[in-house]
Amino acid sequence: MTNSIQEIRNADCLFVIGSNTTEAHPVLAMEMKRAVLRGAKLIVADPRRIWLAGMADHYLQLTPGTDVSLLNAMAHVIIAEGLTDEAFIAQHTEGYEAVAEAVAEWTPERAEVICGVPAEDIRVAARLYATTHKAGIYYTLGITEHTHGTDNVYGLSNLVLLTGHLGRESSGLNPLRGQNNVQGANDSGASPLYYPGYQRVAEPNVQARFEQAWGVDLDPIPGLNLNEMMKVIRTGEMRGLFVMGEDILMSEPNVSQLEAALPNLEALVVQDIFLTLTAQRADVVFPASCFAEKEGTFTNSERRVQRVRKAVAPPGQARADWQILLDLTARCGYDGNVGMDPSQIYDEMAALCDKFAGISYARIEAEGGLQWPCPTPDHPGTRFLHQDGPLRGKAQFIPIDYRRSTELPDADWPMLLSTGRTLYHYNAATQTRREEGVNDKQRSCFVELHPLDAANLGVEDQQIVQVETRRGHIDAAVRLTNRVALGRIWLPMHFAEARANLLTVDDGDGVTGTAEYKVCAARIVPAGTVPAGTVPAGTVPAETLG
Amino acid sequence: MADRKLGDPIARDPDHRNDDHRDDLTAQSVSIVIDGHQLHASPGETLLEAARRVGVVIPTLCHDDRLKPTGACRMCLVESSDNRRMVPACRHPVADGLEVVTDSARVQRHRRSLLSLYAADAPDGILPGTELDAHVLRYGLEPTLPQAEAPRAGRPDDDNRYILFQPDRCILCARCTRYCDEVEAVAAITLAQRGSQTTIATVDNVSLLDSTCELCGGCIDTCPTGALVERKAADRQEDFGDLEPVRTTCNYCGVGCQFDLQVDRAENKVVRVTSPAPGLTTNDGNLCVKGRFAYGFIGHPERLTEPLIRDKSGQLVATDWDTALQRAADLLTGVRDRHGKDSLGFISSSRCTNEENYLVQKLARAAFGTNNCHQCAAT
Repeated sequence: MTNSIQEIRNADCLFVIGSNTTEAHPVLAMEMKRAVLRGAKLIVADPRRIWLAGMADHYLQLTPGTDVSLLNAMAHVIIAEGLTDEAFIAQHTEGYEAVAEAVAEWTPERAEVICGVPAEDIRVAARLYATTHKAGIYYTLGITEHTHGTDNVYGLSNLVLLTGHLGRESSGLNPLRGQNNVQGANDSGASPLYYPGYQRVAEPNVQARFEQAWGVDLDPIPGLNLNEMMKVIRTGEMRGLFVMGEDILMSEPNVSQLEAALPNLEALVVQDIFLTLTAQRADVVFPASCFAEKEGTFTNSERRVQRVRKAVAPPGQARADWQILLDLTARCGYDGNVGMDPSQIYDEMAALCDKFAGISYARIEAEGGLQWPCPTPDHPGTRFLHQDGPLRGKAQFIPIDYRRSTELPDADWPMLLSTGRTLYHYNAATQTRREEGVNDKQRSCFVELHPLDAANLGVEDQQIVQVETRRGHIDAAVRLTNRVALGRIWLPMHFAEARANLLTVDDGDGVTGTAEYKVCAARIVPAGTVPAGTVPAGTVPAETLG
Repeated sequence: MADRKLGDPIARDPDHRNDDHRDDLTAQSVSIVIDGHQLHASPGETLLEAARRVGVVIPTLCHDDRLKPTGACRMCLVESSDNRRMVPACRHPVADGLEVVTDSARVQRHRRSLLSLYAADAPDGILPGTELDAHVLRYGLEPTLPQAEAPRAGRPDDDNRYILFQPDRCILCARCTRYCDEVEAVAAITLAQRGSQTTIATVDNVSLLDSTCELCGGCIDTCPTGALVERKAADRQEDFGDLEPVRTTCNYCGVGCQFDLQVDRAENKVVRVTSPAPGLTTNDGNLCVKGRFAYGFIGHPERLTEPLIRDKSGQLVATDWDTALQRAADLLTGVRDRHGKDSLGFISSSRCTNEENYLVQKLARAAFGTNNCHQCAAT
């Protein structure tokens, strides 16, 4: 986020796109509700009529995967109607002409044909966003989980740059991080392209900095991203995998392919708190600690580094992940970490990263969480980014064009399927499905289906149906609802016995590798009427959660 | 509120003034005196807000900074020179020249008799450790009144596992219902009935599970009497003060809510989760259903407690740390030696700490020389 969470309450316009905020970020959504109850205008763009849509001044129900057409049309309106911030563009940006040219033909009428949002609604939303001083954009995985996810983000950043809605309180571009420490994992260098602090592995002076600090030779060639790693397991190019705290057999797209390729691995080492589907296939399983059993820090969506503190001892012989990693690293032949504790590990990282150099456990203890950039011990941290113009040089406009999603519905696979999260469970749900109180609200997999589609299919509410794609099938209970539009279905990713990722496509975004979890073609077959052998079945795990 | 049906969208209130729009206010200020402190205040500020700035404590019960002031509980009555009656400080606006007295004999007498009325309506007594109890300890009870015979209806059939309403402890301050309207904005609970029958209810008294409630538990957090309590911990409510709070960061989504794990040290167990007071942290005292209630995984019987390795027959069997660490190191270095460093991949976790992510990428890069390292949220 370029802004801070508490700035949301003072915004006068919120543009929420591809974020089911009340379910995925409930407490941040309370700030949005507070702003709207105070009188802020709310624009919600989402294929599903999510809870926030009911509170919105303008709800844009776009077709999944067509964000670029919507965003280009909004840019078109802003330029055509003279709503741009000329001074900001001149002073802080470059590439305006290319975007102006690219969106010239993207009239709202043209976008309407593709994204399904009425042209007049696009105009009204664009005007409202452009003409409100304190206007912020908020997005999540509905923007990024596409083969054109990076284009979607560029589309949003073009709107920000056209209107100069940046570098002020409550005005900015705000990706809401889906998991507690997505921000921090990236910050800490768990990336094939970057060392900690977003320093490129390919840059010689960066390489030299880390070689000197760590006392080893380092490789300047960027590594494979997660999506690529999963694919080269299939080809045999990847033979060994270390996995900490992810159930890849739940979370990776088109997972039956990955599952079938696992025997190619000569080493699979898993570190987790439960015997996940992935751990069941491992050669070695390390029993790890959950957040309540160890010391450390998480960094939230607003770049705030906050402490994680040990409240209880881990069960049995389980150990903190950092302790296991110190020992494993030493056994693998590198002895540069021996004897460190979490605050020393943080200090080592901070000393190598200008962005975090002023952050330490002692300061967090004394001042509460600190928001980076925080370059020196006397720097107060940064509440919102780009206050005096872009952090580096000039902000770049990037022209984008609409590209179709990888797999769209056709006669045989007539429904458009999106997957996602719910309020009551969390990702692979190894934690939340062991919690009876939330299971009462949501015990098993369901598929949201429009009542007219249900009538055409002859299925009823709560009926168990088979949801199929070209890659696999799962069973789910029908949930009749107008939240989804005609021809579209949605289901959650939380249920091990009905894995959404047996269905999804594994094509990734060209830049990030993030897979297209939000769009694929599917069909619904009432259970018991499935023609045998027509669809490759995913391996249903023998052991599923309670 | 009476005209709105439960579950309806919350009506807009353009005058909602519980916000931080101070920069929109005109710069003009007024001069007032509170208990002898001369101070400047902004028009629109309340006596309560102004008093806080000079360290004058005015007790409240129905007030929560996240909610619009209602002045319903009468706990915050003070003497103000613009009114011959005492006025509720939580909603009485400052005005130029106002003289305010918050601790006169008249105010003190009022507090004692008001607390006596609340005590007379508490058949189980006032719960230690609550806001109401703190006021009784500080200001006292006088006169002692006989217990009122005015039982409120509860929801005995509400089978949700998280939120328990104990009507005998309720003082009808309506913080819970207003929180549900104004902060979580789902309007699941409301004041119902009239007179001494008034209680906190859902539509048709259904279970919260069948209402618009999203089980955020904010009603528990804001309750000043313990009438709302975590059902999982309700049997220990009298002893909440014995638990040890450990301030930490929630492990679910990326908002980074701060909360206190309330720990029973002897049992090595998290008993309940509470949020810091409003205004102190990013989450402003709020939590969601997962953060507040879904902590049962922490000591769950299915947790992994021993290292496991695959034996010759292909089964995962328990072993000791030394064996497991050496096996893992041998397997990973063996792959590197046979197939090259880039035949290895390292998946780190956005659920783990910064320090742990740093160590995984260092393991990949420093120990094995490969950049094949990515965190799990990358796809």
